Amino acid sequence: MKKVLRWIDQRFPLTSFIKHELTEYPTPRNLSYWWNFGSLAGIVLMIQIVSGIFLAMHYKADATLAFDSVEHIMRNVNYGWLIRYLHSTGATAFFVVIYIHMLRTLYYGSYRSPREIMWWTGQGLLVLLMATAFMGYLLPWGQMSYWGAQVITSLFGAMPFFGDELVTWLRGDFIVGDATLTRFFALHYLLPFIIVAAVFIHLVALHSVKSSNPSGINLADKDNIPFHPYFTVKDLFGLCIFLVIFSYFVFYKPNLFIMAENYVPANPMQTPAHIVPEWYFLPFYAILRSVPDLLGGVIAMGLSVMIFAAMPFLDRSKIPGGSRYRPFHRFMFYAFVIDIMVLAYVGAAAPEGFVIPLGQIATFFYFASFAILPFASKIEEKWLIKRGLPAEVEAMMQSEEAQKADRRQRKQDRRKTKRKDQ
Amino acid sequence: MKKTFGAFFVGLLLLVSHISLAGSSVQPLAKIEIFQDEETLKRGVMVYYNSCRLCHSMKYIRYQDLVEIGFSTAEIKKLRGRLTEKRLTSINSAVILTQIYGLVPPDLSLMAKARSQGPQYIYTLLTSYYEKSANIYDNKLFPGIRMPDIFSHSLALNPQEKTKTENKILDVTAFLVWASDPKAQERKSLGKYVIAYLVGLSIMFYFVMKRVWGRLE
Repeated sequence: MKKVLRWIDQRFPLTSFIKHELTEYPTPRNLSYWWNFGSLAGIVLMIQIVSGIFLAMHYKADATLAFDSVEHIMRNVNYGWLIRYLHSTGATAFFVVIYIHMLRTLYYGSYRSPREIMWWTGQGLLVLLMATAFMGYLLPWGQMSYWGAQVITSLFGAMPFFGDELVTWLRGDFIVGDATLTRFFALHYLLPFIIVAAVFIHLVALHSVKSSNPSGINLADKDNIPFHPYFTVKDLFGLCIFLVIFSYFVFYKPNLFIMAENYVPANPMQTPAHIVPEWYFLPFYAILRSVPDLLGGVIAMGLSVMIFAAMPFLDRSKIPGGSRYRPFHRFMFYAFVIDIMVLAYVGAAAPEGFVIPLGQIATFFYFASFAILPFASKIEEKWLIKRGLPAEVEAMMQSEEAQKADRRQRKQDRRKTKRKDQ
Repeated sequence: MKKTFGAFFVGLLLLVSHISLAGSSVQPLAKIEIFQDEETLKRGVMVYYNSCRLCHSMKYIRYQDLVEIGFSTAEIKKLRGRLTEKRLTSINSAVILTQIYGLVPPDLSLMAKARSQGPQYIYTLLTSYYEKSANIYDNKLFPGIRMPDIFSHSLALNPQEKTKTENKILDVTAFLVWASDPKAQERKSLGKYVIAYLVGLSIMFYFVMKRVWGRLE
């Protein structure tokens, strides 16, 4: 064994890689279970890719056969029902995990320096995930698949000058049809592998800046522990708990997240009474509908997804510990979560009566909570410092300063020795 | 603090699932429970075969599939008679049905999943016929429905007859629920073992984790 390893190491940095990225990779020891969701997202991605490949072996991307082929998988393929329900429930699980992962970052301020690039690659991953999910949803070729795709592709028609041409180009036809289905299938198969590549970039950034942690500062060396075995076992435990919950939905409630309407084959001649997107798009869909003008709505919806990228610029507070020591920021965080739930409700409800003004207020609050952040975070920081920070926060800030000073000192020493050498 | 954080996500999940479950309809759906024992399902097949099959196909169900709900090969042979189709298809052809009703009646294979609260919806629909005006019948759940009151539920003269019809409707509903998801039983019984295994694995990893982390300091 040792011989083999030595043989490999002379040709490929296997041992040093494992050392650097696993057995000696420093991880803050105080990570809570909220830090499990990054690795969980990776596992769900794998579940989706593997189940998806098996589905593709039996699925037919043809408008006349797609619906039947899904039923064929459900009824005749060995354990086809399991593969299909893993994939459909996996889509929901993916968004649950990713949204929790994002909310953790927002709560603890993990997007702050030096983790901006992590946050932005994550933002890119979110967009890729949304595109993949949207295209995958067309494939069962049910009523909601069809009309969802019809509505969302038609949004590109709001583009000035060449809107209609753009819509036709996207669909490959004047309405969603066979041409749309085949291209969505091709892209739905391609995008997950681009996501895998993007995940690697996300991880390269992570292994360069290391994990954030609940304290919000970079811990001293003594408070970091190797990733393996401490966090491999913790991630495995978290994964098992996740799989228990996931399996419950796969085996006992698999249709909870599939709309009844989608068990009716797509019918271009008959529009469903309410076209409702999947739950994970509801808040954004509500924002789209809350803006009276179509172009404005499309821009607002795009902005509502992309605005997270601005967080490192918007949050100007230097108080560590995420929201724990920032009462106003914490309040805003919970208010924002409630606002998203209100938007989800608005997105699912028929746009009539009180739902319309409710959606408009919630949309306003959504953007306002980002808009006031630069001022609110600075005012809050000043107020907190004036009032006197808790001793532990002071200690944390001092220790971070001390670490920085220490690093600067070492750098200078190195430069001096270099000069001497010369 | 962590607890409130967690409670939020549970709340979020509950809210979302509540929204996705909520369906609005004119007529409140009957609160019925579906029993899927062999006898009920077999009776349900016969109700479909003698009434619904006039107009409705069930294209995802083959005669051979009926073995799964307890029919013997001989019984299936008797049921099929001289029919050559492999699948359950309507007696009247699509052309004739279009001439009568103006459309092809929907396939019933997935009906129990294709409506929200499918079983309750089917049962309520079939028991909601009423005499609108002299000899003109309509449905409270689906006003303007083109399907006639095939089980004559609205014409029942006495309570016994009504109960008898309702039992028949319950039977066929049970069969439609089975047909919409024939692997449900297999799924649920396999699920028990999968979840038990994963719970066991979680407990094991919990203790491994405690032990590994116990080495610190």
